Amino acid sequence: MSVLDRIAERQLVVVTGKGGVGKTTLTAVLGRLLANRGKQVLLLEVDPRESLHQALGTEPSGGEVVPAGPGLSIQNLQPGAVIEGLVREKVPIAYLARKITESTAFHQFVEGAPGLKETALLGHAYRVLQGGHRPRTDLVIVDAPATGHGATMLAAPGLLAQAAEGGQLGDMASELADFLADASRCDVVLATLLEEMPVEETLELIELLWAKLGIRPDLVVANGMYPALPHGAAPTPGMNLWRARRRLNEAELGRLTASWEGPLLKLPLLPLDRGPALVKALVALLHEADS
Amino acid sequence: MSGDLLKGRLIVVVGAGGVGKTTLAAALALGSAKEGRRTLVMTFDPSLRLKDALGVGDSGKGEPIRVMEAGPGFLDAALLDAKLTFDRLIRNYAPNAAAAKRIFSNRFYRDMAGNLSGILEYMAMERLFEMQASEGYDRIILDTPPTRQAMDFLQAPERMMNLVDSKAIQFAMDPWWDDAGRKNLAFRIALKGAMELSDRVIGRRFLLDVVEFIRAFAPLFDGFRSRAEDVRNLLLADETRFLLVAGPGPDRVPDAMFFLRKLQETGHHLGPILVNQVHPDPGPAAGKDQGTVLLRFLADRDQRGLSLLRSLFPGEKNIISVSLEPVPPGDLRTLGQLFEKLSKANPN
Repeated sequence: MSVLDRIAERQLVVVTGKGGVGKTTLTAVLGRLLANRGKQVLLLEVDPRESLHQALGTEPSGGEVVPAGPGLSIQNLQPGAVIEGLVREKVPIAYLARKITESTAFHQFVEGAPGLKETALLGHAYRVLQGGHRPRTDLVIVDAPATGHGATMLAAPGLLAQAAEGGQLGDMASELADFLADASRCDVVLATLLEEMPVEETLELIELLWAKLGIRPDLVVANGMYPALPHGAAPTPGMNLWRARRRLNEAELGRLTASWEGPLLKLPLLPLDRGPALVKALVALLHEADS
Repeated sequence: MSGDLLKGRLIVVVGAGGVGKTTLAAALALGSAKEGRRTLVMTFDPSLRLKDALGVGDSGKGEPIRVMEAGPGFLDAALLDAKLTFDRLIRNYAPNAAAAKRIFSNRFYRDMAGNLSGILEYMAMERLFEMQASEGYDRIILDTPPTRQAMDFLQAPERMMNLVDSKAIQFAMDPWWDDAGRKNLAFRIALKGAMELSDRVIGRRFLLDVVEFIRAFAPLFDGFRSRAEDVRNLLLADETRFLLVAGPGPDRVPDAMFFLRKLQETGHHLGPILVNQVHPDPGPAAGKDQGTVLLRFLADRDQRGLSLLRSLFPGEKNIISVSLEPVPPGDLRTLGQLFEKLSKANPN
């Protein structure tokens, strides 16, 4: 069974990595690839400045579920909106629900309660998977915040379950934490560049996920690798820059694989702007790298 | 020589994650020291090599470490640690040791306070203020936290002030939470309904932890409020410049625009904009192989990004293109070379 076959069996995939390493593009690529294999896939974007729709060539989501080709849809999700939705559901009297969501105390609670916002986002993904939503969804891929916050996000339900033990909120968080800990249903994919800081953060995150949550990522994807230098390349400044960058990529790849023995797929830097053409090319390359 | 690059007593380096803020902040700080200024660079989580280059190991957490000296000027570097700063702040503002101890032993503070949104950003500002007030430096360069929502830290002082004044605090101070308060007046019944609802949904122990935390904190509020105001004024001062670092290419322009708009809206003073990691043109002599096509695409993409940014800011002369280094600077020598390059690119 290949790595991508295994990922296709999951229900929730969280894509994280340092800022600027291509998480959003990777989310789009994984989504398209798994949708091509017959899965119904929903991509959840957390960043309020939407960019996932650009990668797939659709309209921005603005909070709604937007179709993005066969088997694939995207949604930009803001924690405030999710939590307000939950309050409306739990408090059946509309007037009272509005009073609560409009109050300063409520907003401060949402801002201040540890892990609440992150739990709400993951909780939304969980509920989508539990059904009741149309169209049916087999797999949710979350384009998570950058590294540190990505780990915080995964730890949030457990933290909240502990803090709010005994209340309904705590029960919900606890159920979600159990779901996240189930490696057969949930997993993490890490995106990185083969540069010092991103590799460093990737290794730290792998350690942190294991130590704190007992999670081992299913896959690390190394993005944007400079291709091998053509033979007999002239020593122009451009070629020298390329040579140095390629060497750096190789050295960092060595450092990464010295500590990470799990699945690793490499994607090259391509002469394409962010958009459907880039996603299409990367889907083909990722599929090829996997087989 | 360095034009506007080093304008300001306090230079706050902002930008999205992964654009090279830390390296540029270190290079600017080194240049400032070499120009004879007593300089401090404060940074979050720099790369290992940069830690080596600057000589700030984990032992240097919190306290500045001397990196180099050049005549009257010198360079100090400090790693920021939010929790240590928070602890120190509490010790400073608590009316007595018992009040501080009450906070330190609170479960909510121990487990959560470091994770609260905005706290990290606020603590960076707080530490900055301490260093500024010590008057040991002519110039401080702050490398801001690696978060996409990095502008949070601009609002951090306001948020802290709002929190101190908020209804949430009054709510926590309500005697209903005490056993004595439970026998309280009839007009509380409506309020009590709401509280019991939150009690059931959120869980009583959690609420009590938070309430206890806020109550333990109450004696410190006045100190916090006036300090947050001082920090806000420092950020808005004439002598404070915000230097934006942007990534190359049109895809990164929206990030840069977001920061620029926010800074302008809030009345902060903008310094130069550095567009970092720009691919140089491979030159007309280069061939047509796959690699050269890629290099040409990247050079062209990065120029498109620069043109877009310049067209969005027609009057802005201080948009500086910084070319991608073959090898990222990782020691004092290469950081020095980077500063020379920056100075040449910005001669005005």
